[in-house]
Amino acid sequence: MLKIDIKKCTGCKICEKVCPFGAIVIVDKIAQMQDNCTLCGACVNTCPEVALSIERRKVSEKELMLFSGIFIWGEYEEKDEGLIPKKVVKELLSQGRKLADRLDQALAVVVLGDGRLTGLETLIANGADRVIRCKHKLLGRYTADSFTNVISAVISKEKPSIFLFGATPNGRELAPRVAARLHLGLTADCTGLDINEKGEMVQTRPAFGGNIMASIVSPYTRPQMATVRPNVFSFGELDNSRKGEIQDFYVVLSPASIRTKVVAIEKLRDEREVSIEDADIIVSAGRGCKKKENLKLIRELAEELGGVMAGSRSIVELDWIPHTRQVGQSGLTVGPQLYIAVGISGAIQHLVGMSSAKTIIAINKDPDAPIFKVADLGIVGDAIEILPVLIKELKKSQSPCSNS
Amino acid sequence: MHKIITEIVPTVDFKGVRCIKGYNKICQDYSPYLSDESKLAHQGAEYLFFPTNEGELSAVFREMAKKGIKVTISGARTGLVGGAVPYGGAIVSLEKFDKILGLRYDSNLKEWLVRAECGVSLRDLNNWAMKKIFPGLSESGSAETKAFLERYKEIKTTYFYPPDPTEMGAALGGTASTNASGARTYKYGATRNWVRFIRVMLASGEVLEIPRGKYFATLAGEFTITDSNGNETIVTIPSYTMPSTKNAAGIFSAPNMDLIDLFIGSEGNFGAITEVETALQKWDKPVSIVQFFPSDDKAIDFVISLRKEKGIRPEFIEFYSSHALDLLRKKQKEDPKVVGMPPIPDYAKSAIFFDIRFDPETKDNDYPKLEKIVSKCGSTLARSWAGYEQRDLERFKNFRHVLPETVNSIIADRKKRIPELYKLGTDLAVPDQALEEIWAFYKSTLEETGLEWVAFGHIGNNHIHINIIPGSLTEMQAGLSIYNEFAKKAVALGGTVSAEHGIGKIKKEFLSIMFSDKELEEMKAVKIALDPGLLINPGNVLDIATDLHRCPQIG
Amino acid sequence: MKILICVKQVPEITDVKINPETGTLIREGVDSILNPFCEYAVECGLDLRRHYSDIEIVAISMGPPQARAALMRCLEMGADRAILLADRKFAGSDTWATAFTLAEAIRAMEDDFDIILVGKQAIDGDTAQVGPELAEILGIPQIMYAVGVELTGNKKKIRVKREIETGNEIVEVKLPGLVSLSKGPMIRSVSSFKEILDARKKELRVITASDLNIDENVFGLKGSFTQVVKIFPPRVKKKGEVIDGSEAGGAAEKLVGFLRERNFI
Repeated sequence: MLKIDIKKCTGCKICEKVCPFGAIVIVDKIAQMQDNCTLCGACVNTCPEVALSIERRKVSEKELMLFSGIFIWGEYEEKDEGLIPKKVVKELLSQGRKLADRLDQALAVVVLGDGRLTGLETLIANGADRVIRCKHKLLGRYTADSFTNVISAVISKEKPSIFLFGATPNGRELAPRVAARLHLGLTADCTGLDINEKGEMVQTRPAFGGNIMASIVSPYTRPQMATVRPNVFSFGELDNSRKGEIQDFYVVLSPASIRTKVVAIEKLRDEREVSIEDADIIVSAGRGCKKKENLKLIRELAEELGGVMAGSRSIVELDWIPHTRQVGQSGLTVGPQLYIAVGISGAIQHLVGMSSAKTIIAINKDPDAPIFKVADLGIVGDAIEILPVLIKELKKSQSPCSNS
Repeated sequence: MHKIITEIVPTVDFKGVRCIKGYNKICQDYSPYLSDESKLAHQGAEYLFFPTNEGELSAVFREMAKKGIKVTISGARTGLVGGAVPYGGAIVSLEKFDKILGLRYDSNLKEWLVRAECGVSLRDLNNWAMKKIFPGLSESGSAETKAFLERYKEIKTTYFYPPDPTEMGAALGGTASTNASGARTYKYGATRNWVRFIRVMLASGEVLEIPRGKYFATLAGEFTITDSNGNETIVTIPSYTMPSTKNAAGIFSAPNMDLIDLFIGSEGNFGAITEVETALQKWDKPVSIVQFFPSDDKAIDFVISLRKEKGIRPEFIEFYSSHALDLLRKKQKEDPKVVGMPPIPDYAKSAIFFDIRFDPETKDNDYPKLEKIVSKCGSTLARSWAGYEQRDLERFKNFRHVLPETVNSIIADRKKRIPELYKLGTDLAVPDQALEEIWAFYKSTLEETGLEWVAFGHIGNNHIHINIIPGSLTEMQAGLSIYNEFAKKAVALGGTVSAEHGIGKIKKEFLSIMFSDKELEEMKAVKIALDPGLLINPGNVLDIATDLHRCPQIG
Repeated sequence: MKILICVKQVPEITDVKINPETGTLIREGVDSILNPFCEYAVECGLDLRRHYSDIEIVAISMGPPQARAALMRCLEMGADRAILLADRKFAGSDTWATAFTLAEAIRAMEDDFDIILVGKQAIDGDTAQVGPELAEILGIPQIMYAVGVELTGNKKKIRVKREIETGNEIVEVKLPGLVSLSKGPMIRSVSSFKEILDARKKELRVITASDLNIDENVFGLKGSFTQVVKIFPPRVKKKGEVIDGSEAGGAAEKLVGFLRERNFI
């Protein structure tokens, strides 16, 4: 129930402007709630006088049953001036499809953006039954405030039973914000999703740096919310014969509801480059590479294999590479087909970020380095001596002459 | 007076002892056994034995004696003077002597005692003692031992084994036979202070069991040892007086001395120690403090005052000279993680590192005396680094060890250019009252030469390691002659040429600075009495003309 | 001006093992430490105070009584005082219940705050959820993955440098606001012995559920929306081959063979 403190309300009309459902009107300089309020909460945080609050009550089991549908946040990123879906969206659609089929519910993807939104049909081909398009000029770039408002509004109106986010930097900010606003249980960074006999979603996630796994349910709240670690779930081929619906969700947003202001952006990675999160082959450097100049060997090997270069936290701190290429707990989680760790000892904080790679090769001087525990092939030796020979060998074997 | 009798151990067949034969095979697959931390060049070995008990060890000794092949005893090979480096003959590795044998409380001594085989590492010993888990002991131990074990586990107090020669991988037997010391020697003394019992395999293949406090030298300075056949050997202890400082040079000697002390610190010359029983010490939660000072001289003033202040009992007192801090600053710029500390503050021109008791839980922690001494020496407690969490204690310890490691890596780098270069690291100690004088001497001599040098180490025991880092062969020659001067000065001040590293094979020349020819002959006489065939550890400490069985491949 | 820093005590994760038979955590002998990301948050607060002296820094934590050690570390580093929310009723809190309890305590005791600083995530749970949930409950904006914070606009705003996937962003927000710090410090800070002694004379208040005067069903396990149903060890990956690579040619040959075998070349 939305409570309006009439002693504090000044009738400034900000809440009226930000309500996605037109459920607040100002009468005699005092805000009044209408019957169509969904308790999405968009108004609460924008009120400068702190006159609005929502009292939420526990929902009964019967009411919980009314929630239906698997929803996914279709996160888009900017590329070549346009907006395209992130790779994790495909992974979520693929896994969401399985959950939807198990529960016999529809799979919907919620996309937020401005006029540049494209590729919505592909989302259907990836498994979605519905695409819920939220288009607004203030949604061209992600902000926590605007996206929280819109996602909360969609949830309040559509009442899905499950809502999944990619555990990307933005997803890990947005999901808890929405969960806190709507008083929902939320599980972070899941690597497994399943349905139990009660029809609840069982969310499995690593904890203690991957030393243990925990399975978690949210029995009392709907939708059940989770962020899902990228590069864990696989996805199949596009099915262009799939049918689905593209629906528009009416968005109400005011600049007043966006409290953060970006004043400058410093690009450290060309958006046309493959990000390490999306790469299939990664050659990653650590402190064992000894000198910044030696990174050219890493780059050369990556190029030779058609992959990208990344690194451990140590070399980011030594300023050898930008943080956009950092793998691990304080960097990014990667899941390539091949991960070559060069001079990386494999502290647990690093392993957390790369252990879902399909094949791992490690080169390190220290035979006791923990990286060898996860490696499919470990070489105990000096990478700086081995790499030049390896690159030469690769060049030889990849050159057309070697076919003869 | 107790009669000293050696015992026969159950004999086993020599052929059953695991043995690697042939220099080439050893060189190829077992090369680590040819060297130790000294990196001294070896002279080959024809055999490498891995006995697992005293019976096997005895069989090896008897067989080698019969064949006239010398044996070099090898432990964890952490020594710094080449004691375990073979000069021909056979290597006998005691690494399989790795069992914990017992735990008991001695109600006369009022202390807990652990007994273990010689190959057990200090790291393991300490882990077991502190965590109160002794692998295998609760199954294999006697009923009495099991009862002690239960009692030990129930006591709230934590105990540990204090001797800490930095390298905790060192073996218990090796540290007993070299009387290893280290930073904590300041408060707890060297290994000698903690050993309560040993078993020694003599060159004859018979074993001598020596509890402390049982066998003492006669007024004439003699021990009479009787073997199982009733043959008597008389050992006459040397007549010299040992320096009052911490010391690892020369055989221990004192009037009416305990026989156990003849073997402790003998660098394995008289036999192989196979079992050791040591006392444990109550462990208190400490805080590590690195206290900065405006100059080296102020830091040394602080040490002198701190030692006089009986209310504060540091576990150890370590020194970083001004040059040492500069070297670490340089290292921090290259790779801050290796040093693991925030940037060393600019005002720090010298530092003293020490541990004192500290309970982080209590409210009224007050150290007015410490504060007073620090401010008297031109600093304040605000100009310090301190930490008490386990990870901080480790980090502070690393901050100390990274210094010699940095020096070693600089030398290794220069060695690529000039292979003959090596580090010149002193191991000299003097009595308390000579600390200022020797420091002034070190400093003025070194500043005059313009050589690159740093100083650090166990200043609590007046045992400062001067490391000279030569950049050329000329500089190394200059460094060597300075080293000699320093050694003479230390001895003149009543100190020692080797406070903890020992003599081994590489510091023999310094012995003659400290001991007269007659005294050296007295040491040799002890060796000849106990090992008449000169079977054990050829080339260690004493130069006795022997026919070294150098491998032909070495030439 | 008042800065609140919400911190957590965590086990040193490198040490944590699981008992394969019972599936429970073996926490014996594992040291508890101040979460490294939280330490960075404290450093960030101290850095702001170096520029503006009239800042009070208050460290807050929810946890068992032992968690006072983590707050003590904050006091040693330079926080002015600390508050520990310790009560059996708080036990079993999920991220929502934790954020809610912290928010209630902040509203009740430190409502006049200007900035809340938190670490990006705790190294034990890795959820990174309490920060944004706390901001939402308190109705304030948040800036995540920050690496630097400065005051601006007559101390009414902060300007934050934050890491984004393609680089860095400079963001401004009007106070009050919450900032989560992205990194742990490269080198952990160290205190002087004086700071360690002085910290023990500073105020460290322990607050219980009854001090907050709220229905106890909203705290701890009862107030949590998520439930852990099972804890189990991760599947252990089969150990691969480790070979000696002291000879570069042989190592390279082996690598090429392996890459070819797995169709990477």
